[in-house]
Amino acid sequence: MTTAARHAYESHDALLDDYFERGWTDGLPIVAPTPEKVGAFLEHAGLAGHEVLGAVPTREVTCTAEQAAANAVMAGCRPEYFPVVAAAVRAHLHPKGNSHSTTGTLSGAAQAVIVNGPIRNELEVASQAGCFGPGFRANATIGRALRLVIRNVCRAIPGFLDRASFSTPARYSFCFGENEEASDWVPLHVQRGLAPEQSAVTVHSLMKMVEATDFISRTAEGVCDTLAREIRFNGIAGDSWLGEDGNVVIVIGHEHHRFFRAQGWSKVDVQQYLWSRITAPATSATDRMARIGRPEGILVVAAGGAGMAASWLLLPHLALAITEPVASPPRLGK
Amino acid sequence: MTTIIGLDPTSGPFDRTDDHVFPPRPASLDGAVVALVANGLGEGELFLDALYDEMAKLSSLQAPLKVVKGSVSIPPDPQDWRRLTEEATVAVTGFGG
Repeated sequence: MTTAARHAYESHDALLDDYFERGWTDGLPIVAPTPEKVGAFLEHAGLAGHEVLGAVPTREVTCTAEQAAANAVMAGCRPEYFPVVAAAVRAHLHPKGNSHSTTGTLSGAAQAVIVNGPIRNELEVASQAGCFGPGFRANATIGRALRLVIRNVCRAIPGFLDRASFSTPARYSFCFGENEEASDWVPLHVQRGLAPEQSAVTVHSLMKMVEATDFISRTAEGVCDTLAREIRFNGIAGDSWLGEDGNVVIVIGHEHHRFFRAQGWSKVDVQQYLWSRITAPATSATDRMARIGRPEGILVVAAGGAGMAASWLLLPHLALAITEPVASPPRLGK
Repeated sequence: MTTIIGLDPTSGPFDRTDDHVFPPRPASLDGAVVALVANGLGEGELFLDALYDEMAKLSSLQAPLKVVKGSVSIPPDPQDWRRLTEEATVAVTGFGG
């Protein structure tokens, strides 16, 4: 049973036009959030419509499961994606996810949704070639669903509570999986305390994303030195409210990852090597100390396809990366 | 004719200014305590100081109440909110750096 206000239309086109007119879309067409579809999403996730997934206290809004489901339908999700969307909404609305700042900022921060665990393959969340871009329904619609929640529930409307000077295409959708099969690296969600068989999402608000190309290095140390140089050039300012817990996400690409495999480097090795280098005192305005309080604050993720000797830095906005378990749909018995 | 029902996906109307009743703006700032709420970014504090100096040329102000947020990413601390609501006549703030 859904409780949101209902609007009747004579055609799907009429619905689309009205939703655009009301400012309820991201500018792209949406799927009609009918009571039946929204109800099916809630049922699939085992959530009651009135269940609260989180809040933005400064905006005096709460996000219910029904609101999240309506936006997930609109984004083009399948019902089985909704437990992932709900977990992503919970993660984003965690107090230290800092929705108010990360969705209102002039800098136009975006939210990356990183999927781990068995559901990643069950839903075919892309984690290899092209995983940051279009062509994968789960990636495209899960990321879009979170952004529609941010728009429609959290009120981050451009020119209203979203004050971004430019914004970013990553705000349409940004979701990918970790390539857990790439090596014996401990998956991100396991490093953050969850069981390997537990599916999870990590939501990371990023100020900007920087490609760290390095075609020259043939060692783990060489690749890490390049990553450290890029981080220090771009800077990570930190914030007193976040304290020592700040994060940066480093997505290690396929061609770089093989050097770590060859030398037997674990993620912990990468974190420790990088941390001491990115937190060394600044030497100039373009070689700055990163405010990451602990090696564990460097979140290392394997993803991407073959061919390009590149990794990506997802440099943080004023929030922590939050990992949330994906609740198992009860009727699927998982 | 087929009727399609669509649910409202929002948490309510975007513009909820009617929810709040703002106190009337003072007709004059003579004798007022002007609060300056700086977000800590860039030269915002200098800007607000300069703005106060300009305001002081137009009105007979009391000493300003300055608040510099402890973090750029969240609202002022509760004790600062209390000072603002209890001691200030008006407040000026901004965003960005």
